[in-house]
Amino acid sequence: MDVLAVEGLKVDYRTPRGAIHAVDGASFTVGAGQVVGLVGESGCGKTTVARAVTGVYPRNASIVGGKIRFLGQDLLALDAAAYRALRWRGFAFVPQSAMNSLDPVYRVGDQLAEVLTERGGLGAADAARRASELFELVGLSPTRLVDYPHQFSGGMRQRAAIALALALNPKLVIADEPVTALDVIIQRQVLDVIRELQRRLGLSMILVTHDISVVAYVCDRVVVMYAGQVVESGSAAAVLARPFHPYTMGLNNAFPDLQSSAGLLVPIEGAPPDLAAPPGGCRFAPRCPFVQERCRAECPPLVPLAEGQSSACWRATEAETLRAKSRDPKTWLRS
Amino acid sequence: MTASSEPGAFLPKAERRGLGRILADVLAKPARDPFALAGLSIYLVFVLVALFADQFATHDPLQILFQPNGRLARNLPPGETYWLGTTHSGRDIYSQLVYGARAALIVGVTAAMVVVAIGTLIGLLSGYFGGWVDAVLMRVADTALSIPFLPFVIVLTAFLKPSVWNVVLAVAILLWPNTARVIRSQVLTIRERGYVEAARVTGAGHGRILFVHVAPNILPLSFLYGSIAIGWAILTEAAVSFLGFGDPRTVSWGYMLQDAFTSQALSRGSWHWFVPPGLCIVVVVVAGFFLTRGYEEVLFPKLRD
Amino acid sequence: MAFLGRRLLHSLFVLWAVVTILFLMFRLMPGNPLAAYINETMTEDQQEAMLRQFGLDRPLWEQYLIYIGNLLSGELGLSFHQRKPVWDILMAAFPNSIVLTVTGLSLAYVFGVVVGAFLAWKRGTWIEGIGVPLVLTTRAAPEFWVGMLLLAVFSFGLGWFPAGGANSAGAFYDSELERFLSLDFLRHLTLPALTLALYLQGLPLLLMRSTMLEVMHEDFVTMARMKGLSEWRIVIRHAARNALLPVVTAFALGLGLAMGGNVVVETVFSWPGLGRLLVGAVSSSDYPLAQGAFLLISGVFVVMNLVADLAYTALDPRVSHDRVK
Repeated sequence: MDVLAVEGLKVDYRTPRGAIHAVDGASFTVGAGQVVGLVGESGCGKTTVARAVTGVYPRNASIVGGKIRFLGQDLLALDAAAYRALRWRGFAFVPQSAMNSLDPVYRVGDQLAEVLTERGGLGAADAARRASELFELVGLSPTRLVDYPHQFSGGMRQRAAIALALALNPKLVIADEPVTALDVIIQRQVLDVIRELQRRLGLSMILVTHDISVVAYVCDRVVVMYAGQVVESGSAAAVLARPFHPYTMGLNNAFPDLQSSAGLLVPIEGAPPDLAAPPGGCRFAPRCPFVQERCRAECPPLVPLAEGQSSACWRATEAETLRAKSRDPKTWLRS
Repeated sequence: MTASSEPGAFLPKAERRGLGRILADVLAKPARDPFALAGLSIYLVFVLVALFADQFATHDPLQILFQPNGRLARNLPPGETYWLGTTHSGRDIYSQLVYGARAALIVGVTAAMVVVAIGTLIGLLSGYFGGWVDAVLMRVADTALSIPFLPFVIVLTAFLKPSVWNVVLAVAILLWPNTARVIRSQVLTIRERGYVEAARVTGAGHGRILFVHVAPNILPLSFLYGSIAIGWAILTEAAVSFLGFGDPRTVSWGYMLQDAFTSQALSRGSWHWFVPPGLCIVVVVVAGFFLTRGYEEVLFPKLRD
Repeated sequence: MAFLGRRLLHSLFVLWAVVTILFLMFRLMPGNPLAAYINETMTEDQQEAMLRQFGLDRPLWEQYLIYIGNLLSGELGLSFHQRKPVWDILMAAFPNSIVLTVTGLSLAYVFGVVVGAFLAWKRGTWIEGIGVPLVLTTRAAPEFWVGMLLLAVFSFGLGWFPAGGANSAGAFYDSELERFLSLDFLRHLTLPALTLALYLQGLPLLLMRSTMLEVMHEDFVTMARMKGLSEWRIVIRHAARNALLPVVTAFALGLGLAMGGNVVVETVFSWPGLGRLLVGAVSSSDYPLAQGAFLLISGVFVVMNLVADLAYTALDPRVSHDRVK
């Protein structure tokens, strides 16, 4: 059974200008022991999807359609108390900025102990032992447990956040841009911690990132989102090597490779559409170098192509040719 | 490319529109916010009563009144001739109340102007010049805030004759450091903006930059702090008058309360005497709070949830 | 430690400034420069003694040094009216003021912090809709008028509490402590302390509410929710604990209000404290007493400011623990 199955999820934000459809019919699954990368530009809805799973989202957001199944259980049908009982024990969260996510006035060790005693039911002595264990697990010295968050470096805080997420052995870890705030060298170190722990503990994970090279480094599967919709999904290796969607091709060009720093970076020009009033056809059409008449008129469905890889593009059959063109930076230049 | 290196960065439209939009918001605010509307209405009534006090009053507030039978008209309950009754010394309470509005308006507005003038000037100088000017001025502000306020005012009145100016002086001493601090931090951010930098590059003098480019941007903030000062000035005047250090020739609400308190109005149960002046103070000061609270949201949108 | 040193230095500087301003005010005022310590009703001998003690026949700078020296040894002169050393009069009134201030301030801060947090939690409900304007209204009420209303209702109307003073006439106690703990004293304390508290609660309350609203949006509060912690724990242990920091800073501001409020409240309730002493001394031109009372009030104010700052340091680990690189 899949750990998580998101089916046709729709999330709206209420704003003074009207509803913004931040997530508009997203579907994907996370299998046991799998790391699924949720990738896309900022504002594409990937963080909103992750937050929707936790059930903790801003006041003005609401889930207006779809289902979220966690180990077969429909999360959206749960009452508040049952949902709360699942948090951190069922699924835990690693935030983007651990600096702001750790309470500044308590020692890091006490914040670990809080979760262990309040949610894990451990006694004080057991909690202290487990806290040391967790710190060692993520490569931190247990002597630092008595420090306050501001005494940690960025990388250490992110490790502490991972330790915090693993405290109660959750079935699913949701990491929202876990390394974005760090510089490249530290990024690599923290990603190594995540990768190693994932393998050792057989963790199931969702990794939200805008950086496709992070996906390549850590993820088994990848879900590419654009303007609130899934435009491509499949195994990470396949999607990155043979993308069918022009947006994925564009992302491939836009980020440096984490392992080799070679290659020219080519940005995708333009900006994502206004989600209060999205364009009628394919949402990527206004920025797509391969756009055709049909793309502007009709929204392409997400269809299975090869080896469990799906894509939502009318020109998927021509992918081979488009891929070749997409490697030429001139393709992405406007006017 | 930084803004300062573009010739077009000199007073860009966006900056002008910023001030214009703020002013538009200030005018539109009461229409949307019921509290601001209530505050504004109260202020209007208050100013009208203060300006036309002689029209609203039924008697001279300080005249000692006599009944038709020739006896002193003292401690009378509210009635047809004396709407709110009379004081222990035979003066008309209602008329005193009306003239009290005038005293409150004078104190409030003068104090607010002094606070705005001092606070803005010091904030501007401190923020713009920085360095030792800033250090000295802010240390003075810290020190001023570290002196207990009302006791200082009382000691001051030991040397100055009791008058309304003591109150104005006192409120200015109390409030300028707060205003100056806020203005200073605002100036610090404005100073870094492109058009100020551009003005400096084109060789504009300090005075010109300060008063032409910086000052207009902080004016709304000054006015906000000025209007807050109105309420504090009225409250301070009341306290000083109540303690007996007010101007004995001015009928203010604080003076009325002192008169009532020392004339045993409490034990006599003369509610009609000691309740109305206090209520007037509360209503006017609260009106100011409601009004400025609404405007704080206009000027600092961050405060909005 | 460096912070503590700087802060102490600042306190000393403020005290020095107050003392100097006062010196200049009394020496440079129009009329007889000796009036700060000597008036005509004193006997020749007394006048002579004062003249020598305060060096009033010497040049100004010498007077200043003598003045500072006298202050350091607690020598404040004789009260014109009570014919007693100012220091003794102040020390008799001092405990009463401290008890009143501390009681009022504690009530105000406990009430303000709890209700402020509650109003923030109830954001967007009718409770908040009524609560906030109500608090603003109490802030706008002159505290002496509130005191008068309480007196009119509970003292003159219902007769539950005495109309003034700190103790009933003729009451005698073995020690100050026994006096403060007596039921009679508490009955006298109730109305003034309530008045002061009502006057002071607005600041901590509104501040607590607004910082709570800010803190509730912080990532660590969101994280606490994601951890599945109980709402109670999130609000108290995480949000309120962090929101408390600025409230503690504002304690200093509250003190300024308290010292002012004290003067007025003590006058309304004839509370035998420093504030009433000051008002009486200024009204009757008892300059040595006025000067002494003001100095003592300022001293207490400066010291309590310092305490508030140190409390803040203790509460915020970001300030108290130096960054470890």
